Amino acid sequence: MKIIACYSNKGGVGKTATSVNLAQSIAEAGHRVLLCDLDPQGASGFYFRVKPSKALKDEQFFKDVKRFTDAIRGSDYDNLDVLPANMSFRDFDIFLSRMKNSQSRLKKALKAGGTEYDIVVLDCPPNISTLSENVFRASDAIVVPVIPTTLSERTFEQLLHFFKEKKLVRKKILGFFSMAQGSKTLHGETMARMRKTHGKRLLDVTVPFATDVEKMGIHRAPVSTFARSSAAAKAYDALWRDVMDRL
Amino acid sequence: MTSHISYWIAGDPRPAFKTARFGKDRLVPLQEAAETPAILHDTFDGQVASAGCMLLSEGDELILLGIVKPIRQTGSAPGFVSDMESGPVRDALAGFVSSLRRLSPLGEVVIVRQPMALLDDLDKTLARGDLTVLTAKEGGSAAYLSATPLRGYDKALGRLSSGLAEIRVSGLLDARGAVSTLLPAALRQDLKPEIEMTAGTTAFRAATDIIDAQLDLARAHEPGTIADVDSEFLHQYRVALRKVRSVLSLFKGVYAPEETADLKARFGALMAQTGTLRDLDVYLIERESYLALVPEPLRPGLELLFEDIAADRAKAQEALARHLESDDYSREMRRLQKRFAKDGKKLAKGPEAERKARDLARQLIWKRYRKVCKIAGSIDASTPDAQVHELRIHCKKLRYLMEFFTPIFPEAEIKPLLKALKRLQDVLGTFNDCAVQKDALAGRLEAGDGRRSARKLEIAKSLGALLTVLDQRQRSARSEVEARFAAFNSPATRAGFAKLFKSAGAKP
Ligand SMILES: Nc1ncnc2c1ncn2[C@@H]1O[C@H](COP(=O)(O)OP(=O)(O)OP(=O)(O)O)[C@@H](O)[C@H]1O
Ligand SMILES: [Mg+2]
Repeated sequence: MKIIACYSNKGGVGKTATSVNLAQSIAEAGHRVLLCDLDPQGASGFYFRVKPSKALKDEQFFKDVKRFTDAIRGSDYDNLDVLPANMSFRDFDIFLSRMKNSQSRLKKALKAGGTEYDIVVLDCPPNISTLSENVFRASDAIVVPVIPTTLSERTFEQLLHFFKEKKLVRKKILGFFSMAQGSKTLHGETMARMRKTHGKRLLDVTVPFATDVEKMGIHRAPVSTFARSSAAAKAYDALWRDVMDRL
Repeated sequence: MTSHISYWIAGDPRPAFKTARFGKDRLVPLQEAAETPAILHDTFDGQVASAGCMLLSEGDELILLGIVKPIRQTGSAPGFVSDMESGPVRDALAGFVSSLRRLSPLGEVVIVRQPMALLDDLDKTLARGDLTVLTAKEGGSAAYLSATPLRGYDKALGRLSSGLAEIRVSGLLDARGAVSTLLPAALRQDLKPEIEMTAGTTAFRAATDIIDAQLDLARAHEPGTIADVDSEFLHQYRVALRKVRSVLSLFKGVYAPEETADLKARFGALMAQTGTLRDLDVYLIERESYLALVPEPLRPGLELLFEDIAADRAKAQEALARHLESDDYSREMRRLQKRFAKDGKKLAKGPEAERKARDLARQLIWKRYRKVCKIAGSIDASTPDAQVHELRIHCKKLRYLMEFFTPIFPEAEIKPLLKALKRLQDVLGTFNDCAVQKDALAGRLEAGDGRRSARKLEIAKSLGALLTVLDQRQRSARSEVEARFAAFNSPATRAGFAKLFKSAGAKP
């Protein structure tokens, strides 16, 4: 079982869009996938029409394997299950701080509850916290959407710095440009600059800004299921292949 | 936890599904499906339906409904399961259809297959299902619905399941019910006739009703015997006639002596016509097991023997079919049926006629049971085979008596006794079958024109080996008789027999 996190310390960059489409593409390729929604907002679950979990509350996520597996729901797509979020997930940091080995609890929980899956995809909330550290340690790959703007560049560098400081494995970080707009000079310049300085930490694929991604909210389904030949669907298809290659 | 559900439904439930709600969920078709003609198949005694299933052929595709999701297989036609090409449908059928029975067409239906989904208020799929709607030419229809939940949605399936029971427009059925809804005449419901008997039923009435029912049963098996559908038709035909004869001989004094003698002779004559074919059938049924008994090099010889037997059998079958189709035969059967019809008004009664069936039953069963115990109790390793044969015959009679009168005794009490008896009979049956087959096969060896062809020699060699194995089998069964009787003779069984059948003052 491999764990792929979709993470960014910045909000609204496309983590959830990436998680949903990545998970669906990997499942469609025949791997058994669990999409684990760690964000109490429950956006991933929303896209799959899965209602928030009621039974998996508070520390149970980390302590009760049976409740964890019972909370898993089959999606409408083959090979793809979803662990929907719960509002109490917003207090993960508090629960983790109370527990021993607080930095490896997530890995332990996922290893125990996700035995049936080849790949676990994590949709993470946007911050650097105890939970994030757990994510960094648990994951085999950390997919980071980066909107090609100066501010995002800075956040990405903060993340790399954090990894260095905490002696985390930087190779796990797989950034990619998200919501890129070719018409914007700034986007083009930022991408060129970042590829120069952080080339090793960046995947080749670029997910363009596309209304089809926004339409996921109307269809409540992954992009490829309603716009298979769209540029966005193609980009996500390239993305999962790139990510799997790096695993 | 509900892992899957499946239901047989009377009628076409699609209109009801359009409006039905299961909590907040609803069952929707995933695509419009086309109607295709299909043929429904089963054995004469409905073994597929009894197993909760329905077998359909649609062009060269087989569809088996009833085991969770519909199972499909292409390129094999229904017939004897062993002759069908291996595949998921055949393999499932092999689990519950006797190798002796042929799957034959029952009638035509039109089927609509429709994948379904159980959706919630967000249109999230909670369960996937398959609906097959079957409609017969005459207009009857039934449906099979199976559904499996997606992970974590067992509760939704539970709601669907309880909701289905409440949709009043369509009742829920079993597979047998579904078949009769579609083709009312296809499966005979009376192959295991239930004779009504109460405490007040007279012995005459009981005997007459049993014989009447068995005669109907024999007649029901005539067409299949004539058409040579499978060997079970003749077997069941003979079982029915044998039961008639046992009633005549076991219920002594129910009919007048001359009546009994006349009937015995006439049924004996009917039975006599069938023996040759049945014996040959038995060899052919045993073909594979015989072949497995002899060493490889001797198998070709045995194959030759089976060729001869098959040729003889074809002739015997023709002869029996001619007999069953003859005017003489049908006249005789009609006459006999008339005698037992209408409560047996035409039958001459004997001295025991008005006795209560229950009293007579208890007396006869107790007496026979005591006899079985007496003979069996004296059997040890040195007892001659003849005595074992005698024990077998008494056991058989005891079994028939108990079965005839089952309706007047509490089911929960008589069933275990019958079961115990069956176990004893099994070993006696093996013992006897080996003996009979040995004699008959040895007979085949000696019969013939006396010429010594190479073919005959080869057969003789193989037969010799087979006879040796049969003899070993017989002896091994023989050596088990003592232990089996000891098991039968348990305190519980003894007490059971005494409680049900021993009347005050009878010998212990
Ligand atoms: N490639 C894209 N093109 C156009 N719109 C996009 C694209 N990716 C994401 N969006 C839109 O941007 C918004 C934020 O995306 P998303 O929810 O995936 O980001 P997020 O990083 O998960 O946000 P949060 O930090 O709130 O969890 C959504 O409305 C989404 O539809
Ligand atoms: Mg998000």
